[in-house]
Amino acid sequence: MTVVAPPPYDRQYQAERPAFLWLLEREIVRFLKIWRFSILGQILAALLFVLVFGVALKDRVEAIHGIPYDRFILPGLLVQAMLTVGFVNGTTSLFEARNDRYIHRVLASPLRWWEINLGLVVGGIVREVLVGLGVILVAGPLVGIGVAHPFVFSAATVALLVSASQLGVLAGTYARSLDDVYSLETLVVLPLGFLSGIFYSVDKLPPAWRALSYANPVYYFVEAMRAGLLGHADLSPTVSLSVVGGIVVVLSGWSLALFRSAKQLKS
Amino acid sequence: MSPTAAPAALAVRGLTKTYGAGLTAVRDLDLEIADGAFFGLLGPNGAGKTTLIGTVCNLVRPTAGEIQIFGHDYRSREARFLVGLSEQDVNLDRFIDAEEILVYQAGYYGLGRPEAWRRTRELLDLFDLSAKAKSRRSELSGGMQRRLLLAQALVHGPRLLILDEPTAGADVELRTELWDYIRRLHGAGTTVLLTTHYLEEAEALCDEIALIRGGVVVARGSANDLRDRFGARDISEVYLRAMAA
Repeated sequence: MTVVAPPPYDRQYQAERPAFLWLLEREIVRFLKIWRFSILGQILAALLFVLVFGVALKDRVEAIHGIPYDRFILPGLLVQAMLTVGFVNGTTSLFEARNDRYIHRVLASPLRWWEINLGLVVGGIVREVLVGLGVILVAGPLVGIGVAHPFVFSAATVALLVSASQLGVLAGTYARSLDDVYSLETLVVLPLGFLSGIFYSVDKLPPAWRALSYANPVYYFVEAMRAGLLGHADLSPTVSLSVVGGIVVVLSGWSLALFRSAKQLKS
Repeated sequence: MSPTAAPAALAVRGLTKTYGAGLTAVRDLDLEIADGAFFGLLGPNGAGKTTLIGTVCNLVRPTAGEIQIFGHDYRSREARFLVGLSEQDVNLDRFIDAEEILVYQAGYYGLGRPEAWRRTRELLDLFDLSAKAKSRRSELSGGMQRRLLLAQALVHGPRLLILDEPTAGADVELRTELWDYIRRLHGAGTTVLLTTHYLEEAEALCDEIALIRGGVVVARGSANDLRDRFGARDISEVYLRAMAA
């Protein structure tokens, strides 16, 4: 290899291909290399819930609000699957990058703070979309589900995609150890999902439990998704979409402010 | 030193970095490195070398001070593009293989796909890593990881190359190969900022050396100047006297 002269010092920076796209591509390549865990495993987990709780027990469990049980639980399982992969993707990708310090390669490059945030978040969103599509394509025909209100479904899906991915990126930014990463997933995300009305109607709960459900942010995603897919939910779509929209704004604002200040990413 | 009228490759003024725990790693430090220089930064562990380099490379937030790289604010994309960093730690991406590490690194600096792949293949070949192009970090020997780190710093063709202990743990053969290539890069006009604990290496390679202790530059000059000033026989003796002063 011949050694070439270094670039001129006074040239304005101009990317041949946006650096953001390279970071996004790296994020996608990262999870595709472990696709059996990152994609297939998550689809299978949701499918097992549909088979065990829905298809197998359908005849022993009453229809809820006139909706067969297997169909009733699918929107919630879809939320749970996408929430989990969005959270896990951002957390593990960013935590490992910080822990092994190869985040330095990104921070030292011409990538701007918002491009780094966007690359990580969109990477998580792509993984969520793949898992969500997988769940719908595999489990959907089993329970015979459609889209009752396309606008509500689309809005709920976009809000869920962004929120889950931003939540993962936030957790990955703050996590100090692998224990933090796994604890957040098993002690926070998983219980919030299971207590969000995936398997039951919150309307049927005693008042105290109902109040607790109202304090659970995942409940509003499940309700919005249920309204979009089934056309029926305990909450009006206006209420659930307003709450999930607020969650998107809060999480995105927090995450962007954190990346702009770089307090957690740089010494 | 190059006779060009280019601004200083690196101009640091009044740099202070105090960490959260109250430790001041760099204290009101001024440093200027001319375009085309081969500059050595020597000092014991904890002297502030890595903090200084981290700040220049946008990895550490300074408490006070200004940094310019070829006349650009160090945070600007123009400045970031002109710098290549090879860190002391082997911080290679564990999820992707050697060639992907280089391709994405080139991409973070805005190279297009054909150019990123061309540079990657060249550097893999140059550093004798072509056979390991599909290997991940854990499948590379220590020497291979060190070479890949250097290739990563070079893949976008930086004008200022910062090498933080680039030959730590490398055997003699690898050190010789790496220095031969770095010399050629310097000969072609690349400015090099080197930190190393191999003092004889710094003496042989660097036009100018700065000795840093407690976050402050305590002496600076060519190896000959420093030997004369400290009445020393070699740079090791200069180092010991400067650190003991």
